[in-house]
Amino acid sequence: MRRWLLISCCVAALLTWASAEVAQGDDADALADLIDRRIDAGLTAEGVKRVPAADDAEFVRRIYLDLHGVVPSAEQAARFLDDDSQRKRDRLIDELLASERFGEHFGDVWRKRLISPQANEQRMQTDRFSAWLADRFNANDGWDRIVTDLLTASGRIDDNPQVTYLIEGRFPLGVTDLTDLTSRYFLGVQLNCAQCHDHPFVAWKQEDYWGMAAFFAQIQMPGRPKKVYELGVKDDSQMTLARLNGGDEIDGFLSRPPTFLGGQEHEPLRGQTHRAALAQWITSRDNPYFARAAVNRMWWHFFGRGIVTPVDDMHSANEPSHPELLELLSQQFADSGFDLKLLCRAITSSRTYQQTSRPGDQADDEARLFARMSIKVLSAEQLYNSLVAILGPPAKTPSVNVRLGARYEFCQSFAGDGEGEPTRFDRGIPHLLRLMNSPQFAGRSITALASRVQSSGQSADDAVEELFLTILSRRPTAAEIEAAADELANGNSPQAVYRDLAWALLMTSEFSLNH
Amino acid sequence: MHIPFTRRGLLSLTAGATLSGWLPRLAAHATEEKQVKSCILLWMAGGPSHLDTFDLKPDAPDRVRGEFKPIDTSVPGIQISEHFPKFARQMEHAALLRGMSTVESDHQLATYHVHTGYQKRAGGIAFPSLGALASRELGRRDFPLPNFVCIGEGPRHGTRSGFLGPEHQPLDVTSPDRGTDFLEPLASRAEFQRQLALLRRFDDAFQDAYRDQAAQAHRSALERSVKLMNAEQKRAFDLSLEPDAVRERYGSGSFGQGCLMARRLVESGVRFVEVMSGGGVGWDTHRDNFPRTRALSLEADAGMAALIDDLNERGRLDSTLVIWMGEFGRSPQTTSGGGRNHWSRAWSTVLAGGGIRGGQVIGKTDRDAAEVLERPISVVDFLATVCTILGIDYTRQNRAPGVERPIPIVDTSKMPQVVSELL
Repeated sequence: MRRWLLISCCVAALLTWASAEVAQGDDADALADLIDRRIDAGLTAEGVKRVPAADDAEFVRRIYLDLHGVVPSAEQAARFLDDDSQRKRDRLIDELLASERFGEHFGDVWRKRLISPQANEQRMQTDRFSAWLADRFNANDGWDRIVTDLLTASGRIDDNPQVTYLIEGRFPLGVTDLTDLTSRYFLGVQLNCAQCHDHPFVAWKQEDYWGMAAFFAQIQMPGRPKKVYELGVKDDSQMTLARLNGGDEIDGFLSRPPTFLGGQEHEPLRGQTHRAALAQWITSRDNPYFARAAVNRMWWHFFGRGIVTPVDDMHSANEPSHPELLELLSQQFADSGFDLKLLCRAITSSRTYQQTSRPGDQADDEARLFARMSIKVLSAEQLYNSLVAILGPPAKTPSVNVRLGARYEFCQSFAGDGEGEPTRFDRGIPHLLRLMNSPQFAGRSITALASRVQSSGQSADDAVEELFLTILSRRPTAAEIEAAADELANGNSPQAVYRDLAWALLMTSEFSLNH
Repeated sequence: MHIPFTRRGLLSLTAGATLSGWLPRLAAHATEEKQVKSCILLWMAGGPSHLDTFDLKPDAPDRVRGEFKPIDTSVPGIQISEHFPKFARQMEHAALLRGMSTVESDHQLATYHVHTGYQKRAGGIAFPSLGALASRELGRRDFPLPNFVCIGEGPRHGTRSGFLGPEHQPLDVTSPDRGTDFLEPLASRAEFQRQLALLRRFDDAFQDAYRDQAAQAHRSALERSVKLMNAEQKRAFDLSLEPDAVRERYGSGSFGQGCLMARRLVESGVRFVEVMSGGGVGWDTHRDNFPRTRALSLEADAGMAALIDDLNERGRLDSTLVIWMGEFGRSPQTTSGGGRNHWSRAWSTVLAGGGIRGGQVIGKTDRDAAEVLERPISVVDFLATVCTILGIDYTRQNRAPGVERPIPIVDTSKMPQVVSELL
């Protein structure tokens, strides 16, 4: 903590300077400018140069995947590429942020985080919870209000989808799961090691863990855990951690009164539940973790790595790569009323976000210092959404069990264990075999795409271009046009050539990645 | 490999001949690397009742004893359930571990714990399962088949490779009759070659321009998949190459056929195969414990007995460890619905082959099989023992991305003790 305080003192002067310069908290351009200047300062200090800006094709595919979780259609990509007006990137960002798909994508992303990976399979299909999150993101409710609602919800899932977090977040380990998830996602800290022992490298002590866990102890535990679906979440002011530990022994259990992270003991108010008090503390503008966690997590979403990395391991011994930037952005984010769309707009309209991912002379340093964009792997959801957008709904496939829905099954099969590093490709032979050889997408759907391209009566060059725009959101290079021409000249039917082209493009690394 | 000169040995040699000289070449391979072992984990999803399989309590009260009778085995003094009659004749190859004592009583948590040796925590480290660890420690990197294969329908949360990454992820075969899914191209072989050539041409350009690790990992997974599609060893997945008589001996269900496929895979060089019994959580007999356990036992008995028999006849048993286990046992008290609930404090597993000392029972439970009286075996004891049998140094440490501390294969901070009676 002391180190943080030191950094905070150092940036105090900067803050005054910044708030004078950023006259309006809701001015995304000014924030984007601030991002670029802080990144430049880091680059100058280390003698690393920025790579060139992303070309329009890189940008259009990247921004659709990051904000909508899907590649743009051929028409959307072509329209953007052919638009030669000023500020077309800003306009596209605004357009995507205003679309319902923005909230749907972020609802998808957050559902995956907030629901315990051990949740019962049936219950993992929490579409109503995603929809609730999507509405909130689309309405641009402050992050503080969304988190408060998640932590203070009551009742049954059927009546209040937001209570899903408390129910599924605590299965099957109850209080300990909620403590882990809440500290990880809303505070950006990993407390879980401290459940059983004092953290060896950082300040978290076992008593910090159990002090936080105590806030969740009042949530009534029905005798049989699954009963919670019928009974819903209720508070029982008589419940304490000690009583919870009565049945099965919990690893590393320590009896502690509810204590906010950092050591401030909670003084209960009449009529206020422990978790309401926790929500109030977490989402307060003075909370040292909340805004920083949200900013770092959002930065990670767009850049594939956090300003603090690992993204949820913020502690005194793990310094941010750009401390002032994190501090300033967090401050502005809190000042804006925790406005997520503003944060997205600021990041995506920065020069830093709009750089190419092609490496220059110092590939690793460029990525570390954000002198270039990192290449991210399409998440299972982005991959599924994109395949459906390009090829239409999945075909029935005998060996694929879609009892719980085709999208659910696909995402289960293609997701890694937990939420991995976005820049790490974690798929193996089973996934590649399925993409290449399963009729779910690669069979008739590809043939249909080839026919569509052929029957629109265009020239061979135009047909090839349409395939590239549809699948990779860009036009083919001269070499690629030549490769296609070679195939056509070899005496294969145009239909077969288009099919081979479409299949090959879908199997490229370029398609599986967000560059 | 020494193939004993028996009738079945001859049969398999004949079968080998039809595989265009495939078996003899495998045999040559096997001699070269005699010391490297393989493992077949027979996974009894749902938690089989130890009282009704390998730790019967004929003298317990009615509500505990259950309906099944103990029978003698080929080893004097060792008795098991009457519904494992074939396996009973192979007891000299096997050891019963009756002192399993673990801490998780929830299916998913227990499945994860006994597979990985670590308890699952929300959002925590993704630990590799035993199969992934064996793939990493025993597998050959240039081998065209994945070194870890998982057969049959069933829960997969205990079989992932976690932080060991995609190279050690199991190849899932959901139906042994159908074989591996998606191993053949949708297009003709000729067209597939054309497609692949185009793909490589396009992908090379991207790789050159972006020089990215994720792109390289994608390309490598793709090339390994193509290698598998072209490998002759993939015939190990094709059960139609086995004589009908052999297939029948293993039992016609998914589990029996999975055992047969496991034998074929191990013979072709795969290091770890997990075969699922019980579909989802079939052994989870909260109701109707007795008829369900009887049916599942008979199916398991046929598959595992045929497997041990075959491995033995083909000279593979000493280099192949067979494990029979679930995630926990079941409660001594039967419920009003004739079922038994979860029980992790005392339960049983079975080990066979792998060069262990067979024909013994290790550990002892009390009158009701509710508590372990002698030789308790924890999860880390069990896994350290299995690793030792397989020739894996379980104290070796791995590095997980983003985790500062090294992670031993088996959690050495929990002081694992190898069950040395087996060695």
